[in-house]
Order: sequence, then structure tokens, then C-alpha cells
Amino acid sequence: MEIDIKRLARLAKLKFTPEEEEKYAAQMANIVAMVEKLPDLDASGPLIDPDNPMEFRKDEVEKKYSRDELLANAPEVQAGCVVVPKTVAE
Amino acid sequence: MELYRLTASELSRMMQKKEVSSVEVTRSVFDRIAKKEPEIEAYITLNEQAALQKAAEVDEKRAKGEPLSPLAGIPVGVKDNICVKGLPATCASKMLENFIPPYNATVIEKLNAQDCVYTGKLNMDEFAMGSSTETSYFKKTRNPFDLSRVPGGSSGGSAAAVAAGEAVVALGSDTGGSIRQPAAFCGVVGLKPTYGSVSRFGLVAFASSLDQIGPFGRSIEDVAMLYSAICGKDPYDTTTARREYPRFEAGFSADMQGVKIGIPDAYFGKGVSDEVRRLVMQAAHKYEEMGAALVPVTLPEPDYGLAAYYIIACAEASSNLARYDGVKYGYRTKNYKTLDEMYENTRSEGFGDEVKRRIMLGTYVLSSGYYDAYYKKAKFTQKLMEGMFREAFQKADFILSPTAPDTAFQFGENSDDQVKMYMNDILTVTANIAGLPALSFPCGFDSKGMPAGCQLIGGKFTEQRLLNAAYAYEKAAGGFDLSRTLD
Amino acid sequence: MIIGLEVHCELNTKSKIYCSCRSSFGAEVNSQCCPVCMGMPGTLPTLNEKVVDYAVKMGYALGCTINPVSKQDRKNYFYPDLPKAYQISQFDIPLCEHGHLDILVDGEEKRIGITRIHIEEDAGKLIHDESFAGTLVDFNRCGVPLIEIVSEPDLRSSAEAKAYLDTIRETVIYLGISDGKMQEGSIRCDINVSVHKPGEPFGTRVEMKNVNTFSGAVRAIEYEAARQIEVLEQGGVISQETRRWDDLKNCNFLLRSKEDAQDYRYFPEPDLATILLDEAHLQELKDSIPELPNKKTVRFMKEMGLPEEDARQLVESIEKAAYFEEIVKAGNGKIIPKDAANWVLGGISRVINETGKPIAEIGVTAEDLAELIGMLEAKEISSSAGNTVFEALLKNTGKHPKEIVREKGLAQVSDTGFLQQIVDQVVAANEKSVNDYRGGKTNALGFLVGQCMKASKGKGNPAIMREMLLNYLNG
Repeated sequence: MEIDIKRLARLAKLKFTPEEEEKYAAQMANIVAMVEKLPDLDASGPLIDPDNPMEFRKDEVEKKYSRDELLANAPEVQAGCVVVPKTVAE
Repeated sequence: MELYRLTASELSRMMQKKEVSSVEVTRSVFDRIAKKEPEIEAYITLNEQAALQKAAEVDEKRAKGEPLSPLAGIPVGVKDNICVKGLPATCASKMLENFIPPYNATVIEKLNAQDCVYTGKLNMDEFAMGSSTETSYFKKTRNPFDLSRVPGGSSGGSAAAVAAGEAVVALGSDTGGSIRQPAAFCGVVGLKPTYGSVSRFGLVAFASSLDQIGPFGRSIEDVAMLYSAICGKDPYDTTTARREYPRFEAGFSADMQGVKIGIPDAYFGKGVSDEVRRLVMQAAHKYEEMGAALVPVTLPEPDYGLAAYYIIACAEASSNLARYDGVKYGYRTKNYKTLDEMYENTRSEGFGDEVKRRIMLGTYVLSSGYYDAYYKKAKFTQKLMEGMFREAFQKADFILSPTAPDTAFQFGENSDDQVKMYMNDILTVTANIAGLPALSFPCGFDSKGMPAGCQLIGGKFTEQRLLNAAYAYEKAAGGFDLSRTLD
Repeated sequence: MIIGLEVHCELNTKSKIYCSCRSSFGAEVNSQCCPVCMGMPGTLPTLNEKVVDYAVKMGYALGCTINPVSKQDRKNYFYPDLPKAYQISQFDIPLCEHGHLDILVDGEEKRIGITRIHIEEDAGKLIHDESFAGTLVDFNRCGVPLIEIVSEPDLRSSAEAKAYLDTIRETVIYLGISDGKMQEGSIRCDINVSVHKPGEPFGTRVEMKNVNTFSGAVRAIEYEAARQIEVLEQGGVISQETRRWDDLKNCNFLLRSKEDAQDYRYFPEPDLATILLDEAHLQELKDSIPELPNKKTVRFMKEMGLPEEDARQLVESIEKAAYFEEIVKAGNGKIIPKDAANWVLGGISRVINETGKPIAEIGVTAEDLAELIGMLEAKEISSSAGNTVFEALLKNTGKHPKEIVREKGLAQVSDTGFLQQIVDQVVAANEKSVNDYRGGKTNALGFLVGQCMKASKGKGNPAIMREMLLNYLNG
């Protein structure tokens, strides 16, 4: 069982030291061995549950929160916006 | 009489008769907290001032003769992954150490409508990932029966607080056994309701399709009372069911005559300790004495359930926990220049080991090339298991099994072996996978003096049936013995 | 050249797709947000019913099959404008599939296949400004509802792509599901382009992102096709990659190659139950679809004999097209539709532009305009008198064209005796112009006709007077 820890870490935005990588690789191999114990069944077809329909929301506007309340937990705020390191525009 | 020792239903009756006030009850619970908290460490945040103020308000309402609900003025503890406006909701993570939600969970709105008093926010495994509350970033909660042992998890703080009299009742959440296993470990009652009966709005998500909020109490009536207060359709959670719910505590029947109880062999098999097996079978035989019949039922292989559970739960968690990126709220690393460095360092520093492991596993099972073999297959296994349960309920009114393979273990005993730790959930996860209600009640003590839990699993929305059966046992046993933890 | 388009169109619902925040353009930063659209812990989405309805309407408009059982999925990736770090979208079971759109290019109809239409949420806005050390994030747009319309690779030129985009835009406006305003980013697209020599198989396709205007789309396609041809002619190969269009620099550059393609880890959104649409409701939506602009344009051309440009211009506006049809109808087959089109695109459009009023408030009824056109066509009044009548109608006095003509004495005079008198007067009074004309300055004729019109107070038939002038001048 080859698990590409580096690739998964990149996808999950996590960073590991080489020692941690090794540790995680070993632990994940054990866990993956455990979760592979699934029954042999046909798993084709879409994952959808028609017996569980949803009630939709009416298209109505409701305003309950001020900007200050919503940004109160933000690590860095400037000019009414949260701030992140400069991004290359995408 | 120490008020903190009493159950919510007893306190409710006394308050209604104006024999005691909510302030007196609340005061008693906080005195108890002051005394026991240094050794138990069940709470992350205490809410004493606001609680006493709320209690005074309730007393005032009562003095004026305003109509009040049975839960009015009862001190309730809240697991720290349930949002209470203005109180931190840390999820026992460094990531959310300073996060204060500007909103209430729907269950809190419902309890507010009942005039409940909140004692504070209870410790848990980080983001509810764990079976011992050891993965909490802040503290280790100790089992009130034996301080060298874990209280179970992830709702370990809730179970320990209720057992030790640090809360009268409490809310927890259960994704794979996180209410039932700690209830079993701490000798209290815990109910994991049918998926869709309690709103998840304001419950910080671990695994959206499995998470469910539920009550802890020292009696079946208390659990029923708290469950009645929190269940119901919520327009803010599309996964809640539209249906009528009774007041469960009003409908108890202890009559077990002719009731068929399913006994799944595989759930008493390998991995289950002899003592736990014996104690749970004793409970089963007690039901026989009351006129119930024990019938063998075939349930899905526990191994299948565990595998499907870890795949689905971790997949959803990897996505649910992606929002903790240091941008909008929560922890942000000091070490970064670029956006990617900020993301990676924030998440690597903010999350603990177990959370990172599960995010990695979830990322793996969803990643291209593995999705079909793991995630999709696990979802189909889930459907298969739902079907097997439906069949079992053709034969039996509910199913009885141990809650956990063993009683509470020592700190550190399972910390280095994840698979061994995950085996703790093997008997509880199937109810989450199949969306079924399941309840754990104490059924005696092992030779170490630790409580064992008996689990009842029912068909969807058969909570009343489970509560009735547990109530019958409680009555026959003369109540659940918490004298050692309440003294 | 092979082109496929993925068009993102913002729906004009009142509230956002998954929460009750107002969904509108241009508000103060982070003023239209809530814990749900900001992805706060414990919050859950609830699906706006109008979003589903609008997407289904578009599906019917584009001849799609509607999936009555559908679901939503999470698309996972990290970016500061995506607060939950996943976008709720639809992956394997979109609301609408297998449709088509007929576009009009150079007077010919062409059918473009529609692969699918699905619903999803928009992301926030990143603000890059020199005055700030970092990038600022405004979450107002988070959760604004979008439909994504994916075409088959059936387009063969930038002109076809432009026609396709125009038709999509007109269609959403007709359905009333989107403002279709480009400058507010209501419609954006990603473009897939490949090139190949005739007779050879399709080339490798390159995806271009960030195309936010229709003219940009044309330039982006031309640029990318030229780039690919140049690479191939120099013996290079086209690799499957994503490029970013820069509208200011008028070029694109590499965003990511196939190797570092994103792994979005799609899976069914567990916070939302199944979308189930019942037959009666679907039928209701289907019945609500009006005649669509592409069909209307062709009908105006084929049945009304309008030139393509006129038909397009009329159809561009629902109210102008409807008004035009009302006039033709009021004319009872007696007026030429082209004349009605000229009035709608001329005088009426001018008044709309000047006053900003909708046609209904301008107060010129279709019946009145049809009456006016009828009088002009019968040469009962001159075109200048027609203008006078039109101006009078704009005053909303409640009087009809015939009354106005009668009151103002505008009826065109064709009595040759009366007209000859006027012509004689004018040539006598304008000796210089007569000499100019005879000296070769033929445009003096126009001046003289004008003078005759003036002398007749606008009532003289200009064609007859012109004929009389020519007789005199050339005689």
C-alpha cells in the first residue's frame, strides 16, 4: 500500500517534517488496512437518495448580522475586509 | 440534601412547588463545580455569572406566576462544539481557542425558549475526534469513578460533568458513539437520536451525515425531557425530518410483556470483555424476567461498520475542517509570507495529531483514483447496512448489545495505536451509519468498580420505545447508582 | 477551430442561493453577509427554491432534459474568496442535460449542443490595491446564485461564439432570471479552444479562464487560436492546460498545466438533502417559457420581412419587440412591418434614451402609431408632418393622429396648381440657387425643395414639388 503523504498534505494544506511524514505514512497504512474491510458489493451507479427529499427555502431577504459582528473573530481586518497575503489574481 | 445530586425531573417538580429556587439549584451546582473541577476538569469555559443571572430571571418569572416549561431553571452543560452566542466554541482545539460565535445553535434557541440555565462549555476530543477526550488541546477530563481513567469520548466532558454532579443534564454530540461510549464509561444515560430528529445548525460539523446532538442525564426521565426539548424540524437544517414528536417523558410505559429484543451474536463476540458481556447479558435476562423475549438477529459485520464509518466520517471531516484556514476566524500562524505558507502553517500548528490524521485519511479516500474504492463503496455499504437493520427490526422491537467492548481504560492506554482506539467505536458506529436512534444506560459495575453500558438500538424514530425499555430497566434496578461519583 | 463554452450566469433572485442575505451588486464591502455565506463553524446551507426554478426554466428554454431527482456536491479547494474551502455545485447529476441552442450567424441558423446546466454558488471578491500590504477579501458575492451552462464543442469561430453568448444573454433576460449585465459580471465564461487542419482529428484543447466580456471572448478566442497555430507551425505541440486571459494586455498566460491539475475531491453535499421536483411543478415552469429571442428574431425576419439587423435590435429588448408586434397587429395587415420597426428603433428608441421611461409610460399607443404609419404610407401626410404628429402624440393629449392632422392642417397637399404657385415663388426668390444648380452644383436642389416645404408650411408633397423644380431647372 503506497500512500503519497506529500500529495495528500498538499491537497489538505498541511505541512509535515520528514519524521512526521514517516510516522503518518505508517499510521495511515494501518488505518487504511482497517478501512479496507468493506464487503464485496457492486458500487456502481450514482449516490443519490430519492427517499430523502428536501424542503426549499423561500426567496426572501433577511438581515440579522452587522459587519462588525461577522468580522469580530477575524485575525486581520482592514477597511471592512479580512486581509490575506497578496494573491496572484486568478 | 445537596441539590446538585438530584435529577432534573426531581428539581423541576421541587421548583414548580417553589420548594427550591433556580438560583439555589444553580448555586449548588457551581459549588459542586468549584469542589470537583480541579480533579475532573470537565469544563473548558464556565458561565457562572450569566447562569446565576438567568436563574434569578427564571425565579422572578415563577414568582410572577408566568407559565414555565419543566426545564426552566435547570442547569445544563453544553459540549463545546455547540454554539452558544457570546460564549467561546473552541471544539477543544487551538484552532478555535478564541472563536466566539455570534449565533446560537438551534438546540440552544430551543433551550432558551424553555428558560434553561447554561453552566458552561464542556471538554471533548478535538473536533469530536476521539474516544477518550484525550485529544483535547486544553485539558484531560478524568473519569469520576477513577481519576486514572478516561471518561470516554468524544463527549467526555459532558458525561463526566453529569456523573460528578457538575451539571444536572448535558448536551453532547454523537458521530460514531461520542455520546453513548462516554455515558457508558461514566455510568450515566446518553441518547443518540435518529439522524434528522435534532437540528445540527450550530453544531460545529465533524461528519455532517452522521453527527447528531443528544442528551446526557442521570435518569431516563431526564434524558427524555431534554430530548423532547431539542428535537424537531428546523428550517435551517434541511436534513431534519418534518414530523410530530411527543413529549417523551410523558409517555413512559415499563411494560415489557411480549416485547422482542434482538440479540446480535457478533456484537457480543471478539473484542468484548467477559465482564462486559456478562453484565449486558444480565440486563437482557432482566428483560426476560419482565416478560420480554430474546431473539437472535443478524446484523452487519461490525468490521464493515467500522470501515464504512471511518471512511465516510473522515471524508466529510476533511471537507468540513477545510474552512479553518486562518482567514475569517480562529487561529492564524505567525510564520508566513505567502498565502500557501499561511494556510499550511496555520493548519499544521492549529490542529492536533488525531485531527490531522483524519483529515489526511479523508483526503485520501476522496482523492482521484481512490474515490470509488473507498468513499463510494463505503456509501453503498451504508445502504446495505440500513437494509440489514430493517430486516432485523422485522424480527425484533429493538436490539440490545454492549455499548463499548470494555469499561473505561487508563490514560495513554490506547493513544499510540489508532486502530485499537478506533475499536472502541465498533459497537456504536453502526447506529450512526444507519441513522438509527441508540441509547446507553448503566448496567452494573465490573470487578474494577467501573460502570458498563448497555446499548439499545431501535428503528428510525422509535426513541419512545428505547426510552420505555430503558425506563423499565431503571425501575427494576431501583435507579442508576452514582453514589460514588456524587458524594 | 473548435470552441466550447462554459458560461456562468448570475441569477437575479432576491436572496442568495444558500442563505437569506440580499444578493445584489455594488453594496458596501462585507455588508451582505451572514454566518452561513461566510462559512462559520456549525452553519448549514438551505437551498433557495427560486434558484432551482430559474435553472429549470433555462433548461426548458434550451431544450434540456430535466432531472427530477438531483443533488448537490462539494468541490474542494482552498482560496481566500471561498470561505468554506469548498464550493457547493453539482457534479454528476446536474438539474438539466442534453439540450441545444440555435444561434444566428450571417443569416443562417446553427444548432449548438448544450451538455448540461447546473446550479452553484459564486465566490467572494479579492481586492488588490497598492495601498494595502495584503489582499482584501469581500464576501458579499459569496453565495450569489449562478447557473453554469456548458456547451458541446460545436462552435467553429469567434463570431459563432459571440452569437452564442449574445443568444444566451438575450435568453436569460427574456426568462427574467438574470440581468445579463456584463459590466457587473452577471455573465462570465471559460473558453475551451483547439485547432486542427481540415480532415484531421480535433487538436488538444486549452481552457481559458477569466473572460468577463463578450468582446473579450472574441479577442481571447482569436488570440488563443493564433497562438496554437503558431506553436504547431513551429513544430511544437499543444499541451492540455489552463490559461488565464488578461483583457487589458490582450493576451493569455499559463495558469496550470495538466500535471498539476486540481483534484477537487467532489462528493455529495451531506448538508443538503435530495432535490426532488414533481411533475406538476415542472410542467408549470415549462408552460411559463415565453417565445425566445433567437426564435423571435428568425420569425421577424421570415414572417415580417425585417432585415436581420432590425430584427436583432428589436428582439434585444422584450418591450420593443412586443411593442413592434402590437403596432403590426394594430395595423391589421395594412402597414409594412419594416416601417413599424423603423419607428420603434427610431423615434421611440430616441424617446426611451432621452427620458429613460419604459414604452408604456411614453404614452404613444401602438394603435396611434399604426394609424400614423398608415397615413405616412398612404402619403396622406409628409414625413415632416409625421414627425410633427409624433411630437404631438408624445404630449399625451389623448388625441389620435387623424385628429392632430386635421387640427393642425397637416394633411399633405398634392394639388398641382397650389404647389406650382409655391415652386414659382421659391425659384423667383432664390435666383442664386437656381444659377448654382444650373452651374453644376446639383445639391442646390435639396435646398430649393426645403424652401418649397417651408413655404407650404410642411404640407406640400415634396416629391411632386421636387419634380416641378426639376422641370423648371432643366427646362
